[in-house]
Amino acid sequence: MLIRTDNLKKKYSSKEALKGISFSIEAGEIFSLLGPNGAGKTTTIKLLTGQLKPTGGRAEIMGREVISNRQNLRPHMGVMPEETNLYERLTVRDNLEFFCRLYDSGYKRLEEYLKIVGMLAEADTPVKRLSRGMKQKVLLVRALLHDPEVLFLDEPTSGLDPASAADIHGLLEKLNEEGITILLTSHDMEEVERLSDRIAFLHNGRISALGRPKALKLNHSPGQIEVLVETSDGLVERRLDMNSPSTAEKISSWLEESRLVSIHSCEPTLAEIFVEITGSELR
Amino acid sequence: MNSRLRIISAILFKEFKDLKKNINLLVIYFLPVLFTLTFTYLVPDMPRGFAINSGLLFLVVMMGMYVPSMLIAEEKEKKTLEVLLLSPAGAADIFIGKGLLTFISILIVSFFLVLIAGLEGSTLFIIFLATALISIFSIFVGMTVGLLSPDQRSTGTIGLPIYMLLILVPQLSTMSGQRIMNVLAALMPTTYYFHIQEKAIAQALNLGDVMPEMGVIVFSIFIVFFALVLLYRKKGI
Repeated sequence: MLIRTDNLKKKYSSKEALKGISFSIEAGEIFSLLGPNGAGKTTTIKLLTGQLKPTGGRAEIMGREVISNRQNLRPHMGVMPEETNLYERLTVRDNLEFFCRLYDSGYKRLEEYLKIVGMLAEADTPVKRLSRGMKQKVLLVRALLHDPEVLFLDEPTSGLDPASAADIHGLLEKLNEEGITILLTSHDMEEVERLSDRIAFLHNGRISALGRPKALKLNHSPGQIEVLVETSDGLVERRLDMNSPSTAEKISSWLEESRLVSIHSCEPTLAEIFVEITGSELR
Repeated sequence: MNSRLRIISAILFKEFKDLKKNINLLVIYFLPVLFTLTFTYLVPDMPRGFAINSGLLFLVVMMGMYVPSMLIAEEKEKKTLEVLLLSPAGAADIFIGKGLLTFISILIVSFFLVLIAGLEGSTLFIIFLATALISIFSIFVGMTVGLLSPDQRSTGTIGLPIYMLLILVPQLSTMSGQRIMNVLAALMPTTYYFHIQEKAIAQALNLGDVMPEMGVIVFSIFIVFFALVLLYRKKGI
């Protein structure tokens, strides 16, 4: 296990942000924490990166307890925070070179990553002149410069246009192919479903469900199939109960008559599952 | 290169690059120069040494305190401190990097002030030594203000009364015979710095002649350093 939490708790002065969460992440996995604002996603990342001390439980990375080993663990972690916290007066290159120097990582990957995210032309532009999407890309490149084994991404595409989000998704998939373990938080279901090996639903400081996206969908499937059939009135869409004996009969008769146009299982979206489990909307 | 040295030099290098584009801070650098130029050339009836004394005092207090407090508060306000503390840089590296930038720039500007005032001779060494020591004191005070300030605007609210006391009391105490002013002046390390400069400009001095004043400044450095450490341990950065 690369990351492990055991009954991890965090209480701020009056609010219990995390009420004891336990999960583990394998090396090379993309694991997503999905939940609405205030669910405890950012707190979880801050606990795992040693920015906050837990009030209970334990967090481990690479088999080492985070708080007591945070100095040693830092070079192994890359963090992309939700805020675009860059040095606004400096150029993109100055910002990134500064972190290369801090990590003593050399500048070899700087140009390569800027090229991948399509920012090479803006390398000498002051950060304050960049759009939010461009700043998000710079934040991601900054988190990667020292070749971390674990990447923490807090709402990596929040507020981005679809093209910028797609660039970031592409890079994350490439990084994951290279073996980097990624923990990301999001309330974007499509993003999470596309990228994640496993998902945890975080709600009111607790994990309400955890599993592979496909498994979560199957477990919460209404047990129906959707068919498109040709009739005298044109194409008609119908929902049939998968467990009913009449469903098989109907399908075979439509097949014989060559009237069946399409057939697929009805799967709930992750958002629908989230509402079903927690009773709350993802927002 | 040793990793601490590498990290500190990276922070220092970044601060220098950023300073070149930071109008808010550059203004503070030019004010003492403008002040000394004005009093040296436009008000020739001023007592000898007043322009350079006041210019240097303004420089070490305003630049020494304002610059580190603003740099620290800005990192907090813009949340760049969070990511800096996730890197191999520790709080001490950040303090040293920002403090070094301030210290080096004070020495450079003070060199220009001395040139403008036309000072020369052996007393220059004493003036530069005293300036270096009082700068360290000012930088620690500025860092303390930076720690207390959640954002850049607060550095003015918290710091300005302190800056004004440290600049005005030494100068006003020489003009006022009020006991309260003398007591206040005795508590300000900047008063002793002001005395060193007055003496050094009036006559040729040896280091021994200003040892009591230097001692008070060094003692003040230790006091404010311990206050800074205590505050950091209690509050964090």
